[in-house]
Amino acid sequence: MSNLELATGRGRKQTGKYGSLWREIYRNKVIYLFISPFYILFAIFGLFPILFSFYLAFQKWDGIGEMQFVGLDQFRYLITDTVFWKAIWNTLEIWIYSTIPMLFFALVIAFLLNSAFLRYRNLYRIAYFLPNVTSIVAVAIIFGTLFGNTYGFLNFILTSFGLEPIEWLNSRFWLKIAIASMIVWRWTGYNAIIYLAGLQSIPTVLYEAARIDGASTVQTFFRITIPLLRPVILFTVITSTIGGMQIFTEPQILVGNGGGPNAEGMTIVLYLYQQAFTKNLFGYGSAVAWGLFVVIAVFSFINWKIVQRPES
Amino acid sequence: MIGKHAVVKKLILHLALLIGVAVSMFPFYWLTVMATSTTSDIYKFPPKVTFGTELMTNIQNVLANIDFFGSFVNTVFVSTASTLLTLFFCSLAGFSFAKFDFPGKKVLFVLLLATMMIPGQLSLVPSFIIMQKLGWVGTYKSLIIPGMASAFGIFWMRQYAQGSIHDDLINAGRIDGCNHFRLFWNVALPILRPALAFLGIFTFIGSWNDYLWPLIILNNPEKYTLQITLSQLNGIYNTDYAMVMAGTLMATLPLIVMFLLVSRQFISDIAAGAIKD
Amino acid sequence: MTRKIFFSWALIFCLLVTVVGCGGQQAADTGGSGGGGDAGSGGEKITLTLWYWNRSIDDNLLKEVNKQFPNINLKAEKIGGDFKAKLTTSLAAGSGAPDIVGLNDWVAEFFPNKDQFVNLFEYGADKELKSQYLEWKWNQAVTPDGNYMIALPMDTGPTALFYREDLFREAGLPTEPEEVSAQIKTWEDYFEAGQKLQSALADKKVFMFDNINTVFTQATHQNDKIYFDNSDNFIGDQEHIKQAWDRAVKVHQLGLSAKIGGWTPEWNAAMNNGKVASFIGAVWMKQILMEAAPDTKGKWRIARAPGGDGNNGGSFIGITKQSKHPKEAYEVIKWLMSPEHQLNSLVTMNLFPSTPSVFSDSKVVQAEEFFGNQKMNEIFMKSAENVKPAYRGPKFSIANSAFQDELTNIEKQNKDPEKAWNDALNKIKKELTR
Repeated sequence: MSNLELATGRGRKQTGKYGSLWREIYRNKVIYLFISPFYILFAIFGLFPILFSFYLAFQKWDGIGEMQFVGLDQFRYLITDTVFWKAIWNTLEIWIYSTIPMLFFALVIAFLLNSAFLRYRNLYRIAYFLPNVTSIVAVAIIFGTLFGNTYGFLNFILTSFGLEPIEWLNSRFWLKIAIASMIVWRWTGYNAIIYLAGLQSIPTVLYEAARIDGASTVQTFFRITIPLLRPVILFTVITSTIGGMQIFTEPQILVGNGGGPNAEGMTIVLYLYQQAFTKNLFGYGSAVAWGLFVVIAVFSFINWKIVQRPES
Repeated sequence: MIGKHAVVKKLILHLALLIGVAVSMFPFYWLTVMATSTTSDIYKFPPKVTFGTELMTNIQNVLANIDFFGSFVNTVFVSTASTLLTLFFCSLAGFSFAKFDFPGKKVLFVLLLATMMIPGQLSLVPSFIIMQKLGWVGTYKSLIIPGMASAFGIFWMRQYAQGSIHDDLINAGRIDGCNHFRLFWNVALPILRPALAFLGIFTFIGSWNDYLWPLIILNNPEKYTLQITLSQLNGIYNTDYAMVMAGTLMATLPLIVMFLLVSRQFISDIAAGAIKD
Repeated sequence: MTRKIFFSWALIFCLLVTVVGCGGQQAADTGGSGGGGDAGSGGEKITLTLWYWNRSIDDNLLKEVNKQFPNINLKAEKIGGDFKAKLTTSLAAGSGAPDIVGLNDWVAEFFPNKDQFVNLFEYGADKELKSQYLEWKWNQAVTPDGNYMIALPMDTGPTALFYREDLFREAGLPTEPEEVSAQIKTWEDYFEAGQKLQSALADKKVFMFDNINTVFTQATHQNDKIYFDNSDNFIGDQEHIKQAWDRAVKVHQLGLSAKIGGWTPEWNAAMNNGKVASFIGAVWMKQILMEAAPDTKGKWRIARAPGGDGNNGGSFIGITKQSKHPKEAYEVIKWLMSPEHQLNSLVTMNLFPSTPSVFSDSKVVQAEEFFGNQKMNEIFMKSAENVKPAYRGPKFSIANSAFQDELTNIEKQNKDPEKAWNDALNKIKKELTR
């Protein structure tokens, strides 16, 4: 019955409703104009390229000659492309090696900086934040000299302590550590500053109550600080995930477009760049981009699940 | 006794923090050591860890081999233009989202937030092709225009505007006969200044340090930005490493100086931004 | 209030100017890259851009161009990083490519896109210039059908053995170039000398080879065929490549390699610090060695390369179709690569001429201080006489990078050589299908 009512009433009702909607929209035309630049730019430089890359992924094209439709060939190649899969794992590995120490040290530094009556707090904050202002290109050039296999500064330190030098740039594991260390160095201070602000927003009464109850510093840290800091920690985890999926400059400058020995430093974005812009495989580059998109979607989904869980 | 204990505790605290500072600062120190040495000294093993006297020679070599000031000016131009345009479009849109009601507002805003999750690198290839079709390859338009209304910037300005601009002010402005744009320009902008300062510096630093996109899109050395020039310097002249290091120092220093000038406000703004989320 | 409105409009105006400003600038530049727009035809100065990489052309010679051609303003730009990639991207972009461009030994990779380059035959290059140049070198820039020439030859890269005379002496190896040439004649001799040197200089931790990629590259370039035959069929799985591969693997297994990759600061450091006692390299390596290892001045010598003479590298120079002044550009490259200037570049930059008429010039053979006053080019001349030109083809780098990558895996990650060989072949076969 209600269906019938709806069916008969729909036409008239809707003109009325949409009529007023259009009037409302028209009335606010200036506002739409104000917010429009983002949507226009996104449509041209965001949405359209993404759709276009879907089209390109079915083509074979060197960017100069004619495009050639190849169906699913690029995707077929992608699935059996060991370097592509390697790039995904490398990216995840580097992300883990960088995010965990980075967030851990950031928490510790923030905790220390939050100590009562600490003098020179601002100086410390500036000193810790400074690496973040440095360009990645510069960081990679400088760190390249620290991690040199034979003449690097770190191997000098190791050998002067009687230890074996490490072939940083050759080893499957240490190359990733070298790349991750640049990220850690550049972003720890940034995250520490954010944590510090989070800590400062925790009411001191809570700490005092804990102290009266006889809780130790470690206990307070795990029982009060960490739980109350949770949203801030989540924010930093999400930002470092987005950043971590996009790592490019560090390996590119450190070991070149090929990602170093056995492509151990090859990341997804570096692979995309290498395939598309140094080998001119534009079609295949687009297929790689879609592979990347799937990986990020899965990752974001997991992230989202983690964020959702505690609230239920 | 208690006083002594507190002093020891404080000392340990500072010591721990200073170790962290040392790690933060070491690469800058190391860079300066290398930039002031000769290439042979850099290659020495064990390495030389004190400042040398070759800084001026190295700088002269940089200037002789690459157009450092040219790329410096290019970078300043691109960063400034990006920053001004971003500030304008983001504050305008952020203010509109914060203070006006209009049909579809929620959907549009969620859409805007969702775009933040899409990594830009995904569309590297087609973006290049679009720039090629527009004839923008090798021009600064391709660096400045696509990002000038960033989702993050709009989000940030909206958050700030929501908390800081009272509806009374808007209404008063309306009664005075201000149109929308005047409300924005005369009423909102002055209040938004702290948020603008943060977004401005954030955009400026990001644009200054941008690497991947300019690497793809700039093909004329006369138009290179500092990051591209720096990676070129590193790639072309690696037999003169002292010079590469001097160039790195020269490219890094301006931004550090600028940051130190504005650092206090900027750092607290970053923190505030994260907490608001 | 009116003042504020004025300022608002002023700001918007500024923003627009910024945007449009870049536009205007760009328009001017597109003209510029082609060389000053139409102004050139009116007899005014035209601008030509030229891309080259470090040490590929003498900087001073480039400066001379403006004096030689009063109506031309040559903007020469050194491009670093991946030169080939930058060029291809600019060609793909349809704008921004230079008028004149240096092309390395990968020149044939542009044959499929030859129409991006001016056909030099249209300007009479074959009638006017062909006789001046080495025939095999000339042919490398001509498409297989013989109708299209995309570039003029620049230098060639005859190879020789670079060795540290002082270290050879300490190790009891022959030291005089003639002796070295005579006694270290084959790869096996070379390995043996390496073992002898490393056991004699064990405390100094000196290595005979820099890396095994160098061994492979040089061994492959001693043949008259490499990865592809003249009809672009893959022949890299055949004996001549396997043999070169096995030599590289042998160096690894004997522990004779310093495992330091080329073109890195570490390589420069190793050379300057005397960690590497020898390598086979082309004539242009002289220049790199002199820049990278100034502290070893006087200690290096060269001898004939063990295993035979070869050619490694050597470049070309072409004109892109994006150029608005191809005729002027042709005049410039013809002038730059004239026999006289090639001779000059040999003296200043160690770029070995592709124009045989100058080989007899007295300037060619000179005592060189960095190399203990040895008359270096006597040896390179002999090497150049014996070059066996090998066909490379458009897919050369697909095969080459697969082999080189796997050799790096062997050397740096101890990958099983057998598996590495098979992986390389599989990768090449896979990549050749797309």
